[in-house]
Amino acid sequence: MLRIHELSIRFGSTLVLDGVSLAVEKASIVGLAGASGGGKSTLLRCIQGLEVPTLGTVHSEGNVGFMFQDFQLFPHMTVLQNLIYAPKLKGSTSYLEKAQLLLSTLGIEDKSNAFPQTLSGGQKQRVALARALMMNPEILLCDEPTSGLDASSIFEVVSLLKSINDEGVTMLIASHDRYFLKTISNRIVDLNKGKIV
Amino acid sequence: MGNVISEMLFIGQGLLVTLELLFGGLGIGITFGVLFSILRYKGIASILIQRLISLLRGTPLILQLSIVYFSTPAFLGFKLSILSAGILTFGLNSSAYIAEILRSGIENLNKGQFEAAKALDIPTFYMWKDIVLPQVLKNILPAMQSEVIALLKETALISTIGGLDVMRSAQMVSAEKFTYFLPLCIAGAYYYSLVLLIETLGKNLERRGSYA
Repeated sequence: MLRIHELSIRFGSTLVLDGVSLAVEKASIVGLAGASGGGKSTLLRCIQGLEVPTLGTVHSEGNVGFMFQDFQLFPHMTVLQNLIYAPKLKGSTSYLEKAQLLLSTLGIEDKSNAFPQTLSGGQKQRVALARALMMNPEILLCDEPTSGLDASSIFEVVSLLKSINDEGVTMLIASHDRYFLKTISNRIVDLNKGKIV
Repeated sequence: MGNVISEMLFIGQGLLVTLELLFGGLGIGITFGVLFSILRYKGIASILIQRLISLLRGTPLILQLSIVYFSTPAFLGFKLSILSAGILTFGLNSSAYIAEILRSGIENLNKGQFEAAKALDIPTFYMWKDIVLPQVLKNILPAMQSEVIALLKETALISTIGGLDVMRSAQMVSAEKFTYFLPLCIAGAYYYSLVLLIETLGKNLERRGSYA
């Protein structure tokens, strides 16, 4: 469950989010649509705590995971290291088994010792997804998960995200691709000029 | 021929002091350089550090060395040894340059890397140690290599306060034998050999640091 109440954020003189209220029900997928510059990314970044809102509150039940538009994998670490670094610090003991399970579920177990630069866009996407899932998020925020992917990879992303959602992970997905959002979301919210329309 | 070898051996004894100054200076330079750049990035004592860096880069090194060596007795009541004065001065001077190199490296790193670390709940200390600095160090390796070479050459200034380094040893031979060319060429050969060694090491590090 994720509840956003009257969220506003101002960058300089621009009001990027203007009193956004939104509730995302547990285990549902909500799509965030709208033109670029409409505030989609900023809303996700506020929920994750990467931006501090000027006004309003975000209330989330459980861990929040974030998938960046440009993945932001750690380039000096292998795929496996990218996955296990944070959970290992948190004192998790079963991180290696979990990482291997995730990699094979996502069909990239043969890439576990590869460095991110050597991967295709679709593979990087899956590593980014796996890295976020390693933290056992109850809520997953995805920023433009289909950008830069070809049609068949988009189809794969849809089925991957759906299967993760089937396990009870709540999702908020920002995308400019309305067709993609229609195929995946339970509900689509339009964000335009910082307001929900 | 025997002459050349004995001169080489004598001047070579100065290598110990030269290397002590280089490694000691690097130790202090890197420690304070990292500290200064992180503090500046985080906006802690930023103006103070900025001024200090400006001062260290903006005055002659030979002047800084003289101040540290000749005027500490008046302020601190005790005399620093030539070697400690050298290590302290070269180290602090180098830290200013290293801090600037690191700052540009940190500022050029994709901000998303900091955000990814935050999103994964990685504590600040580990973010700097394992995510930020390894990537920054790789990017600044060429500039750092130049700084190490510059530091090595600057250690020759220790001869002005009487440190028995390679340079001073060469000058001593010159003074005794009334000949300059050979002893100075020998000193030059020692310095240049060390520089070639640093360059080889740097190339190896660059190769090892390139992922994939």
